[in-house]
Amino acid sequence: MRWLKALIVVVLIFTFATAGLAQAKLKVGFIYVGPIGDYGWTNAHDQARKIVEKNLPIETLYVESVPEAQAEPFIEKLIQQGVKVVFTTSFGFMDGTLAVAKRYPNIIFGHASGFKRNPNMLTYMADFYQVYYLNGLLAGALTKSGKIAYVGAFPIPEVKRHLGAFALGVRAVNPKATVNVRWLFSWFDPAKAKEATEALIAEGADVFAFTEDSPTVVQVAGKKGLPAFGHYSPMQRFAPQTVVSGQLVHWETIYNDVLSKILSGKYTANNLQNVDYWWLLAEKAVEVGGQFGTPINPIYTTKLQAAQVRTKEFGQISVYDLFNRRLGQMTRKPVAFDPFAGPIRDRKGRLVVPAGKTMSVLELNTMEWAAPGVVGPWPKEP
Amino acid sequence: MRIGPLEVERRNVPPWSWTLAVSILAILVALGLAGVIFWSYGVSPLHAYGVIIRGTLNPRALPEIVRNMIPLLLAGVGLVLAFRALFWNIGAEGQILLGATAATWVALYSPVPDPLKLPAMFAAGFLGGAAWGLIPAVLKLRFSVNEVISTLMMNYIALYLVSGLVHGPWKGNEMRGFAFTDAFPRAAQIPLIPGTRIHWITLLLGVALAIGTAFLLKRTRAGFEIRVQGENPEAARYAGIDPVRTLLVVMFIAGGTAGLAGVGEAAGIHRRLLDPNQISLGFGYAAIIVAWLARGSPLAVLVTSLFLGIIFASGDVMRVALQMPARVTDVFNGLILFCLIGSERLLYWRVRWLPERTVRGPAPEAGTGREATGASGSDS
Amino acid sequence: MEEWIINTIIRGLALGTPLVWAALGEVYAERSGVVNLGVEGMMILGAFAAFALAQSTGHPYLGLLIAAGAGGLAALLHAFLVISLRANQYVSGLALTMFGLGLSALLGRRWEGLPLLTTLPEISLLTYGGVALAVLLWFVLYHTRWGIIIRSAGEAPAAVDTMGVNVFLVRYLAVVFGGALAGVGGGLLSVAYRPSWTEGMTVGLGWIAIAIAIFASWDPLRAWAGAFFFGALFHLSFRLQTWVAPEPLQMMPFAFTILVLALATRRRGMGVQGAPEALGLPYIRGEH
Repeated sequence: MRWLKALIVVVLIFTFATAGLAQAKLKVGFIYVGPIGDYGWTNAHDQARKIVEKNLPIETLYVESVPEAQAEPFIEKLIQQGVKVVFTTSFGFMDGTLAVAKRYPNIIFGHASGFKRNPNMLTYMADFYQVYYLNGLLAGALTKSGKIAYVGAFPIPEVKRHLGAFALGVRAVNPKATVNVRWLFSWFDPAKAKEATEALIAEGADVFAFTEDSPTVVQVAGKKGLPAFGHYSPMQRFAPQTVVSGQLVHWETIYNDVLSKILSGKYTANNLQNVDYWWLLAEKAVEVGGQFGTPINPIYTTKLQAAQVRTKEFGQISVYDLFNRRLGQMTRKPVAFDPFAGPIRDRKGRLVVPAGKTMSVLELNTMEWAAPGVVGPWPKEP
Repeated sequence: MRIGPLEVERRNVPPWSWTLAVSILAILVALGLAGVIFWSYGVSPLHAYGVIIRGTLNPRALPEIVRNMIPLLLAGVGLVLAFRALFWNIGAEGQILLGATAATWVALYSPVPDPLKLPAMFAAGFLGGAAWGLIPAVLKLRFSVNEVISTLMMNYIALYLVSGLVHGPWKGNEMRGFAFTDAFPRAAQIPLIPGTRIHWITLLLGVALAIGTAFLLKRTRAGFEIRVQGENPEAARYAGIDPVRTLLVVMFIAGGTAGLAGVGEAAGIHRRLLDPNQISLGFGYAAIIVAWLARGSPLAVLVTSLFLGIIFASGDVMRVALQMPARVTDVFNGLILFCLIGSERLLYWRVRWLPERTVRGPAPEAGTGREATGASGSDS
Repeated sequence: MEEWIINTIIRGLALGTPLVWAALGEVYAERSGVVNLGVEGMMILGAFAAFALAQSTGHPYLGLLIAAGAGGLAALLHAFLVISLRANQYVSGLALTMFGLGLSALLGRRWEGLPLLTTLPEISLLTYGGVALAVLLWFVLYHTRWGIIIRSAGEAPAAVDTMGVNVFLVRYLAVVFGGALAGVGGGLLSVAYRPSWTEGMTVGLGWIAIAIAIFASWDPLRAWAGAFFFGALFHLSFRLQTWVAPEPLQMMPFAFTILVLALATRRRGMGVQGAPEALGLPYIRGEH
């Protein structure tokens, strides 16, 4: 039995020796809904986590693939690890995060994409709708068949908003084009994304945009030589000849801002009730392009310069220039252009944004209507 | 048969202490194998074991273990019954979803008065799960459709059914267009033990059903019929047992208990209906393991569901405290299961220390297909 | 109309190819009397192995070969547990699924996000190979002595044993062969159908392969047809979204499977649909 005692002693030494190490840096925890190796949402948050960990005097912990209902126990486990700031990165974590925030008034919480706040819980979102509008301009110019494809994950306001902005962009340069939509009912399912893309190809669509966490759509379109827009991560490398542009995110700009203000004492656990980040192009939280630093794949430059449109604001102009003007208008503050500026009628002809008005953040977050030109099923259409 | 100084005999009914000892040994072997993974991730295995043990076997971890145990217990009890009747129901996941759906309908859309809401939800959830479980039973009896395939397909169908509801007619107004129903009214929420997420009514139901099912199997005519039907269908036919009725009773109960697990998840944890992949965390599949570990005894499910709850909790500890990828829990659970089922043969051997005799018997060769053949020498 | 038919056939073949390889493997394993619910795990290990090899060497066919090895190795574990140690086949298969999904994810971290430059087309040699394999396996199963032995191992193992054939060996070979085919099926997903690697990228197709094997009444030719039909229906569920709501459509391939099974047996009358008598039961020498 002596060996058994020895073993127990060794185990005890190992376990307790490592437990009491003092922490000098601020510990920040991240709760992710998917695996960090996806090509989309969670991967982008994790890249941002690595960047802020390098730039700020902080230490980070993360937990991936957390089911939405398990947010509470996982947050509590992170807090037990000494975490003082917790970011939860899925809408479904909202109620769980709020419940824990009320239980731990000295810990600071950040919840992505939600709308419930607390003195120690802020909300943040880097949204793509402007980027989708810019992509829509390019798509409208590049389609030959007049049919543009959109593979959507879920028919929820976030995706409907992006699809709507995309369709408005398309119609701005190509009033006859349609945006044909297919729903996957999955955030990640390469097989579904593939067959949905193939179905759209079979129907004659020749330009592709999507919301799904894999490069499948880009790859399928690329194989047929059809232009596509990357989503969420730099996907140009999966089809270098055919990815025109896409949506890229810089969550690190938000994380950097929040954490710097926490470190400097500007944000405390008592003053976050009204802190809501809704950061767009101007704040550099999002970027347009198929890879970082390249708004438009140079392969498509001539084609887009040749495509001419007539606009009220700029007169006769090439789509390439229009894209850059609009990008400039939305990147510089004050923002001079909004894709959802009225008057806008939905595809049923109802006036949804009156002339002279733009949509509020709340309206954008609860948007259910389908933009003109959208063809296909639209669950919960008003 | 002798191996060195050990006398080895076969037996048919292992005592529980031996079962426990062998199972613990198997888990230790699995931990040893998992050590290789920890080591390859640059984590000292001993440190890892320490963290896991401290993180799992402490009172703060207990509420979440019990929270995971509740659906496993309910679905597991039903599956024990189904497996006793040799009905390979792998559709508990779908039956859980249907239970949650039926309960949601009662909670949000039925005119049931408040005091009766919870009882009505449990009843509706039981019936919903039972209906979903009876379909494959009827398909098997009437059309001899293999139940593995039908229960599996029914899981997918349930998934899209719930998805259609939460994205369509049942989508609520509170969650800004995301796929959630509105929250259940207070009367339709199962109360929690304060400070935990243990919805104790469901837990009590689970315990009661485990005891009730054990009683049913051991002491009633229906239970006798189920046992005979499962152990010897030929004999059952001669004894005049109606296989149709037996199977229908079994799947009514099995689907129903899984449905109750769904009620617990919807009304105790989420308090609303949501995306089907987020309602049950694979409890329906994990319950198959719970039921198998219980080896046909509904009472043993009380232990095995708790055990699986602990395993789940240890996986969570690895993810947080050791900062390992989420999938490490799958590898860990897989290893534990492999070792547990691999050790099952050992249960039926009785090993005694008898060094004084010198006669040597043939030792079985390990690791080849011949092993069972070699070992079977003592069978006859 | 013509475009619809041709396109649906092509899509059926494209998704059907990985499925049919995995399903044929399960047909052989189950014919020998061993249920292996670990197809998902074997497929994902194959998918990872094929991608890793093809990515680093540039040879997708080499990748598929290694995928077969990975799937076979995983199946060997299952075989050892359920044939030699007589463990419960359903539980062992579930464990294999978990283990495979977990292990491939841990090993595959390094390969995530990498593009694959040399891929196979969706309709490749392996598609025609799938047809040929189905015919070959059908012929072997019904018209050769080997086939009789494999089928008997699943129907009446004791009888085969008295003929002097080693039941354990037959089952081992069938299960490992099945695993190798599942590995190839998974590999086809990562180097041909998709082609790229993410953890969990089999998204449940392994379970569909099992369903197809049973759906086909354990007949290789019917398994081929089943895989093709599933692929075609899966595709159509997106094609038809213009006219039908998406949720009922996505249910369609699964509901259809049950419906066809029910109708098929109704026509054939009551029967066990050719399920091997000893399916799922361990063989113990000296009993029976």
